Amino acid sequence: MYLTDKTYIKSDMKISDIIRENPSIILVLEHFGIEDTLHEKSVSQLCKQAGIGELLFIVICNLYNGFAFNEPDKLSNSDIPVIISYLNNSHLYYKNEKYPEIIAYIRQLNAYGHSREIKLAEVFFNEYFEEVIEHLDYEDKIAFPYFYQLFEDNRIKSNDGYSASSYLKHHSDVESKLTDFKNLLLKHLHINNQGPVKRKLLYSLFELEFDLKIHSMIEEQVLIPLVISIENRNL
Amino acid sequence: MQSGVFNIGIIEPSDLLYEGLTNILLKYKSRLRLYRIDELDDYSRSIPHIDFDLIILNTSLIQNRIKIFRNLKREKPDIRWIGIMHSLINAETLTEFDDIIRIDENGETICKKIFRFSDTNKTPPSSTQQKSLSERETDVLKLLSGGLSNKEIADTLNISIHTVISHRKNISQKTGIKSQSGLTIYAISNNIIFLDKI
Repeated sequence: MYLTDKTYIKSDMKISDIIRENPSIILVLEHFGIEDTLHEKSVSQLCKQAGIGELLFIVICNLYNGFAFNEPDKLSNSDIPVIISYLNNSHLYYKNEKYPEIIAYIRQLNAYGHSREIKLAEVFFNEYFEEVIEHLDYEDKIAFPYFYQLFEDNRIKSNDGYSASSYLKHHSDVESKLTDFKNLLLKHLHINNQGPVKRKLLYSLFELEFDLKIHSMIEEQVLIPLVISIENRNL
Repeated sequence: MQSGVFNIGIIEPSDLLYEGLTNILLKYKSRLRLYRIDELDDYSRSIPHIDFDLIILNTSLIQNRIKIFRNLKREKPDIRWIGIMHSLINAETLTEFDDIIRIDENGETICKKIFRFSDTNKTPPSSTQQKSLSERETDVLKLLSGGLSNKEIADTLNISIHTVISHRKNISQKTGIKSQSGLTIYAISNNIIFLDKI
């Protein structure tokens, strides 16, 4: 099944063609830690050189292109550390790149006008991002190490008590505050004569939102089903 | 789901018919998402991910599988089913659909049949026409921005907590903002409350 206006990515396609159609795939390469020059490489050649499972790469790229994934049993255990490193890299991207970028734009807006609303908006965004950080830290410190251990030992420790289902419980959705923030900027706040800064801020928020959305899809549709299948095998 | 987006699934094995149909639909209406589904069985696998509003299905695919088709329809009764008819088919099969499009019909007729379901079911006219908050909603918003809980708002305004919740729902629908702190900022920028009051 596929969404009509996007291509379903396959292993013999050229990476550069895929990026031309959907530039977000550049970010995917970055999250995978792939920095090679692309030349005329196909998906399968690139994956082989980078030591990444081809199916995993295709699945994640296709999530960015709008295709859901529902065959987790086709992935292998060795994909788990790759997925974790992918997710870790995207955490760094949110914390070290996106967040400072967005805050800088908000402050720029602040510097020009003297709007109280923008100051409140900054407080609001900080509140939101604190929630995000809390979730990312939980993943980095508790969930991912557990998943990694599971991969290393290929079994669950008997009295561990932690499992993928406790992770899913924690996997609360913080998206709605980001949507609020975007709507405030887009529809309600009075920001005059700040066209370019406001646009850059909005673009940056859309980028953050899009990547966060795919991020949770990778966790929910790829990582968790894979982990659960290992857990079940050990019961 | 994004508001106002109409999700259509298309189960049509012929590339020619599929491409032609999507072309007609996309030209006629914006805010459409079209998904191609390879076969009827593939549809049930995709259900959890997408909220389909309507599915267009080649009638010949269910000719001998009426029972399976009826079960599918029962699983999600809100979905409308449109049949594509391009060959002789028995009349009983046709009654299973909400409407039938024929390949010799022109684009406009086809679109009218399909999108009559989008106009009646989605976004009731009240919420699209009237975007400003009602007096009562403004009252609720003022108290909400002051940090009051639903229960406290209900007590202050002498209304039931359900009424408060329903006002909050309408406020969020009209403003596009759900969180209390987001709504506070909205209230300030629209001069509904003033900074020294909070």
